[in-house]
Amino acid sequence: MHDLEVLAAILILGVTCYAMRAGGYVLAGSLRDDGVVARFLRLAPGNLFVAFIVGGCLSGGLAGLVGTLVAIAAMAINNREWAALGAGFGAALMASALGM
Amino acid sequence: MTITSAKTSPRVPTMTSAGFRRGLVAALPFLLSNGAAGLVMGLTYKGLGLGASHAFLFSLLVYSATAQAITLSMWASPLPIVAMVVACIATNSRYLLMGAHLRQLFGRFAIRRMLPTLFLLADASWLMTSSDAERNGPDAGYLLGSSIPMAIGWSGGTALAYAAPLAAGGSLKLAGALLPTMFIATLLPSQWKNLKSVWPWLTSAIVALLVARFVDASWSMLIGGGCGTLVSMMERTDA
Repeated sequence: MHDLEVLAAILILGVTCYAMRAGGYVLAGSLRDDGVVARFLRLAPGNLFVAFIVGGCLSGGLAGLVGTLVAIAAMAINNREWAALGAGFGAALMASALGM
Repeated sequence: MTITSAKTSPRVPTMTSAGFRRGLVAALPFLLSNGAAGLVMGLTYKGLGLGASHAFLFSLLVYSATAQAITLSMWASPLPIVAMVVACIATNSRYLLMGAHLRQLFGRFAIRRMLPTLFLLADASWLMTSSDAERNGPDAGYLLGSSIPMAIGWSGGTALAYAAPLAAGGSLKLAGALLPTMFIATLLPSQWKNLKSVWPWLTSAIVALLVARFVDASWSMLIGGGCGTLVSMMERTDA
């Protein structure tokens, strides 16, 4: 993969993410809190996360599924991202070593 | 994420050095937590074969675990940039609402002074600023101050992954394959509202599974999540 292609992708994604951060602030005057678009945006993240996780588990095999479930459980219990990632990865590593 | 519909603050927004210091100190623990998460992201980039400067730029400019994890999972040659941009917009749509909420707090503040600060906006800094505004009045210095340790931790952790003597071996390869999904999984508990979340989430999962199996895996998140969101919208309330 060419360096310039990667650099261009990073810049485009950087601009996109900044546009999302600044966009809400700039457009706030014309976005109604009770409008359909605002409601869709408010409800979208959780559903997108679920769909993403399903796709990831599908490609990650059984070890990936075990690691992901442990990460979700650890996050629900202690609400520490780094601890949840550590627990999830440890569980996936163990599952992989057991041949899952 | 629940967005409180704050009315325009009666207090005049400011940008003070006291607010900056208050935010900076309050967010110092994020140096460690974001540093650890950034390190994991850096190791994943390393496993993918991305150069140190590109990985650091990624974390510095994109600065979003969600967007970075998702685009990482779509990495291919040639890069599917349009799909990546759509995925970034869809998964980071919450920033639109955070920004709209901040406008209600800082609406009377000069927009040219707010726009650079918004570059570092993160979930945690937004939550902390909203909470601080209720106690001390809206202070853009607090938003900036609380954002800085988070950004340094994330970008610094990514850079550290390349400085540390770690090679792309077996466990690192496994991390590269699994951690993007785990990153997103750690955000899931915060999205759970109540039993009303079951049907939309089930819809998202089933549609994503079908799209990945019969259409194209790279579109499973957007189509699955979109269908689930439509089911969510059928409920009378968002709670």
